[in-house]
Amino acid sequence: MNEYIGIVAIFVLAGGLAGIMVWLGSVLGKKNPTEVKLAPFECGQEPFSLPIGKLAVKFYLTAILFILFDVELVFLYPWAVLYRRLGLLGLIEMGIFLGILMVGYVYARDNGALDWK
Amino acid sequence: MRGPGPADLALLVPELILVGVVLALMLVARRIRRGPVAASITVVAAFVAAIASVQALSGGATSGFAGMLLVDGYSQFFKLLIAATLVLATLLSAGCRKDDGVPRGDYHVLLLLAATGMMIAASSTDLMPLYLALELMTICSYVLVGIRVERPRSNEAAIKYFLLGSFASALMLFGISLTYGLTGTTSYAGIASALYSRGLVSPALIAVAVGMVVAGLAFKIAAVPFHSWAPDAYQGASAPVAGFLAAGSKAAGLAALGRVAMIAFGTETAVLTAVLVGLAALSMLVGSILSLSQTDMKRLLAYSSIAHAGYAVLGLIAGTSAGASATMTYAFFYVFMTLGAFGVVIALGERGTTLDGFEGLASQRPLASAVMLLFLLSLTGIPPTAGFVAKFVVITSAVQAGQVILALVAVGCSVVTAFVYMRVAVRMYMSNTVAPPPAPFPLAVTAALTLAALITLVGGVLPAGVMSWAISP
Repeated sequence: MNEYIGIVAIFVLAGGLAGIMVWLGSVLGKKNPTEVKLAPFECGQEPFSLPIGKLAVKFYLTAILFILFDVELVFLYPWAVLYRRLGLLGLIEMGIFLGILMVGYVYARDNGALDWK
Repeated sequence: MRGPGPADLALLVPELILVGVVLALMLVARRIRRGPVAASITVVAAFVAAIASVQALSGGATSGFAGMLLVDGYSQFFKLLIAATLVLATLLSAGCRKDDGVPRGDYHVLLLLAATGMMIAASSTDLMPLYLALELMTICSYVLVGIRVERPRSNEAAIKYFLLGSFASALMLFGISLTYGLTGTTSYAGIASALYSRGLVSPALIAVAVGMVVAGLAFKIAAVPFHSWAPDAYQGASAPVAGFLAAGSKAAGLAALGRVAMIAFGTETAVLTAVLVGLAALSMLVGSILSLSQTDMKRLLAYSSIAHAGYAVLGLIAGTSAGASATMTYAFFYVFMTLGAFGVVIALGERGTTLDGFEGLASQRPLASAVMLLFLLSLTGIPPTAGFVAKFVVITSAVQAGQVILALVAVGCSVVTAFVYMRVAVRMYMSNTVAPPPAPFPLAVTAALTLAALITLVGGVLPAGVMSWAISP
């Protein structure tokens, strides 16, 4: 257990120091609140909204296409690393795999997933 | 570790055929304008897959993919049954969808993929491929239920089915992970030997694992208390999809449940008996009693399918190979009689969706009414139909397992459901109607109804063929 005491001490010190800084800031600092200053900060977006708005379906198709190519890449990397050891059989297997994925791509293209409107 | 070789792939030939057709259909999905093209391709694919699955067994039972898949008489039985379900559902689809905005190519792609999942589930001897196969089947089913995107009810049904289905899948996956944690393996044989020779494993945890895996499978066969998706999903789906789910999902779930109960958890007789008796009794009671008040035909058939799930499970309680054969026989005959009943509902079009639509049908369509009567008698379990044989073998098996009270419940529920089914028959034969007679049935629907009626009738008179073919795992 003893070897962990140092880590615990760092946690306590770091947390304590940060806490004291925040506390001092809120006690000693000047306060001049306006409505804008009190609003939660979120990158310029409206921080709260009711979930009744519409979401464009084209993002879903983009996500599907992303997954299609992402999965492809995930398998291409290990294949590329072991290309020589896998030999001809590996090439054929990857061909089948890419062929199946391409069917998905053709299907998505036929259904207008790439027509950005 | 060596990857799968050609010998392993040979086990998957029926499934690979279906997947190949799926890929081809996806490429041309947008170019198919006429429905019959995709339907004919699907029917041919199902036939070829059935022939391939007969061929695959010619060299005796073989195991492959490091013992994850097994091709034996059991898997062949269910594969042929699933191929038949696919053919019937496709033929029935031809009669239903005129201009409902369903893309024909996509629809058949989903049917084929769902059937592929069912077939893999039937030959799985490991929990991992089983889970994958059942997910393939259910995810396609979610889309099939909601494929009529213009209809709010269809969307609602798909969402309900999806939410409950994901929950059931998560439950099953949790059960699988518990099983793996307890036994260190996911293969059925490995689990069985680990449970048989266990030393330190806690029996309570095993009971939880068994219960969760069985619960996940009970969802697929719509057994109470995991049934609540069925009526809504069937009602919201188009009638052929509902029939496909009622028959196919149940066949695949029973195939998986049979292997899991007989092999993987075969040593845990006390837990299994308790879980299966509960499922069977509740399904029969709830399914029969709730079907009494239904006026929508698809909901009525949904509750009837819930009750039938209970009957089918009866055979597995004994834990004997005779009991498992009884369940297989039940699944076989159930598929044809339920698809037949759905087929008449489909053939009648808008009129077939409600119970009142059947009023006075016998005077307008004597032959269709007679066929419907045959399916209803079979669903009730009255000789000389196949339904009688099916009920007889499962109830006999329950009695042999010492579950006399359960057998009495089963018989009592039969009487209750007789009232339900005869309500339809009475409307057909003993009332008059002012409704215009239904349009002539399309040829494909007539063919499907003829096939289903033939098997229901011949199976009732000469059941020995099917029963000797139903070899337990």
